[in-house]
Amino acid sequence: MTGFLRRRAFTSLLPLIAVLLGVFFLARLTGDPANLYLPVSATPEQRQQFIEQNGLDDSVWAQMWDYLGGILRLDFGESLRTGESAATMALRAFPATLQLAFSTMLIAVAGAIVIGCWAAYRPNSIADRISSFLSMTAASVPDFWFAIIGVWIFAVGLGWLPTSGVTGGMASWVLPVATLVIRPLGVLTQVVRGAMVSALSAPYVRLARSKGAGDLRVVTHHALRNAAAPALTVAGDLMVGLINGAVVVETIFGWPGIGKLMIDSILGRDFAVLQACVLLTAVSIFVLNILIDIGYALLDARVREKVSA
Amino acid sequence: MSSPPIPRKTMLLSAVLGVSLIASGCTVANSEYVTGGGAGGLRIVLPEEPPTLEACQSSLTSTGVVIRSNITEPLVERDADTGELGPKLATEWEQTSDETWTFTLREGVTFTDGTPFDAEAAAFTIDRAVNSDLGCEVEGYVFGDTDLDVKVVDDTTLTVTTPEPDPILPLRLSFVEMVSPKTSTTEKVRVPIGTGPYEVADWQAGQRLSLDVNPNYWGDAPGYQSVNYVWRAEGSVRAAMVTNGEADIATSLAPEDGAGELAVAYRNNETTALRIQSDEPPLDDIRIRQAVNSVIDRNTLVQTLFENLATPAGELIPEGVVGYNPDEKIWPYSPSEAKRLVDEARADGVPVDTEIRLIARTGQFPRIAETVEVIQNELEKAGLNVKIQMMDTNTQLTYQIRPFPEDTGPYLLMIMHGNQAGDAAFTLDQYMLSEGYQSSWGTEEFDGMIREAEALKGSERQAAFEKLWPYEQEKIVQYAYIAHMSAILAKSASVSYEPDSATGDEMRLAEMSPVS
Repeated sequence: MTGFLRRRAFTSLLPLIAVLLGVFFLARLTGDPANLYLPVSATPEQRQQFIEQNGLDDSVWAQMWDYLGGILRLDFGESLRTGESAATMALRAFPATLQLAFSTMLIAVAGAIVIGCWAAYRPNSIADRISSFLSMTAASVPDFWFAIIGVWIFAVGLGWLPTSGVTGGMASWVLPVATLVIRPLGVLTQVVRGAMVSALSAPYVRLARSKGAGDLRVVTHHALRNAAAPALTVAGDLMVGLINGAVVVETIFGWPGIGKLMIDSILGRDFAVLQACVLLTAVSIFVLNILIDIGYALLDARVREKVSA
Repeated sequence: MSSPPIPRKTMLLSAVLGVSLIASGCTVANSEYVTGGGAGGLRIVLPEEPPTLEACQSSLTSTGVVIRSNITEPLVERDADTGELGPKLATEWEQTSDETWTFTLREGVTFTDGTPFDAEAAAFTIDRAVNSDLGCEVEGYVFGDTDLDVKVVDDTTLTVTTPEPDPILPLRLSFVEMVSPKTSTTEKVRVPIGTGPYEVADWQAGQRLSLDVNPNYWGDAPGYQSVNYVWRAEGSVRAAMVTNGEADIATSLAPEDGAGELAVAYRNNETTALRIQSDEPPLDDIRIRQAVNSVIDRNTLVQTLFENLATPAGELIPEGVVGYNPDEKIWPYSPSEAKRLVDEARADGVPVDTEIRLIARTGQFPRIAETVEVIQNELEKAGLNVKIQMMDTNTQLTYQIRPFPEDTGPYLLMIMHGNQAGDAAFTLDQYMLSEGYQSSWGTEEFDGMIREAEALKGSERQAAFEKLWPYEQEKIVQYAYIAHMSAILAKSASVSYEPDSATGDEMRLAEMSPVS
């Protein structure tokens, strides 16, 4: 297992470094931040002073070495916008995103298992229709549309929920989570349904039935275990997407997470903060991928045997 | 067949559940705030979080709207309706020589850290904001390269001397927010210590900013004990927060954001215009610049896209700013004239088919995209080859501010200018002088006229400024003015407040009170 993890860690490290360098260079292609941070009438001397103070006059390569060296010293630079440490800002924002992503995923997984199993067990039932509706919707409607419509119906029209915010108790979680959950729920339900359909027709299930196992026991103890592995892989990918892609939802609902911080940093050409956010996100996706592999191995004996070989 | 490894599965599930619950538990415990407002407080929702509350950055809109006249105060303040200067931390001021102004300061004022406000403190602030190496926004915006000679005469008397006579020095100083002498002089601070009716109580970065009333305030106590700001980027969410009772005031709304009866439209000081970059053909030909002016159907734009919340413009400043010409000439809409001018230029060998970029900034004002599409369409009909390019703020600013990028081909730049200061000098210096920071060209003669007007006072100043606008339209044609804009805020019925043209930059909390 440790050998597997070591290989897995090594192969994930290369994309991680590629992402960090990619963001570093792409950010610098978007232009000099001096215009945003200096008064419009700043003199050329003030401009030069700003550029020197922030190390923007060094060559891009020198800036890159400086950045990479900083990472090794755990020094991620300071925000141009607020003057705070970039690492502090990224670490402060990250839990809000994780909370949102975990809650969403928990609901998506639970919902997908229930609806997916039910749909697979009774093709063309209500659950089957819900599952195809969810997956169609998830594939065709953008997040921001759900978010705005949700605000209009449930906050403004019915007055049941707050429009936005993060500190309003569980009620303020409903709309952001509901907006985010549609895509993973739709996709996972389809995966669970598909895997369950084939699992339920597999010989070992027929054997279990012939031995007198009840419907519930067949689904939960026999079929679901084998259907869980593909669902887990997909759930892992969706989780990565949630951490990465909460940008729209965080912006609309004023959720102070890393997605919103990234957008603000991009618009503000706040390179240090953007890099810190990307690094943190990339590292957590890296860790998450390893966790998924472990989970996958725990659930599927074939993988377990392969990795321990 | 072996039994399933239930303990492992349970372990995995419990781990996910546990992390999620612990994570959400931290927030649930703190559920007293919905939008950040405590009981009885005023709740305001802004489009963006101020990056800093540093007082010398107060000409940044997102900073100024929170701090100016709320947390910190200037020596004198400008009445947004009349343009007159009124006393604030200075009770009197007079020009005691050509270059020197003398200010008499209010007695019995203290900063919220307990330090008394006196001439030393005022001199400290002015030196810090204008004469230092901090690179303050206010220095560049209001004072340019000018350094001020500030002298303390006694505790309540201060003199400020400029290298050249400056008839509007008190107006410029109305942008300098007084801070405690204990403030750092080597770096900008995130939170200022001022003399205003409120002080910062709590700033949870990313979430909310709370102000508490200053119990030792020298003036009348304001109507609310506490004020809470939150920020939401989406206009429709801001409007919904007011209609839903989660916030009392929401700013920067568009007509379609849906604030309904709670929407209040008010004239701000913003004017939209196209700056015509005049150094490359075909835009270096005055006929083409006139054609650009002729194709803009200002009345229709105002009635349809701006929903009558704006008025057609013939100059770059609106009513209420010193130097506004009340007889402004609105360029008549005439597509046929535009076509004639373009054809005439083509016949003379002007390369009218060269691609011209029409550059605008995403989110610059509501329906910006539709506005540039309409203009592009009309320009194409007149025979010009125009391509729209939308940019984000930073990229657009490289085209707006000198030094302009080189070898870019001809372009038209959508600008929106707000003269916060209330005097045309601030507009003319930047937008009209031939080497102005945001100006593409001019003439020596026009530069001279601007300089002469700026040195005058009172009614002479007004009269001299008024002549500059028609001259610009006839002889220079650097701009195609579009409209004097309005702003919309949403206001709960429980709050009494009248927004004015300065509200976008300075929202005075002391002018807000609960409806009794």
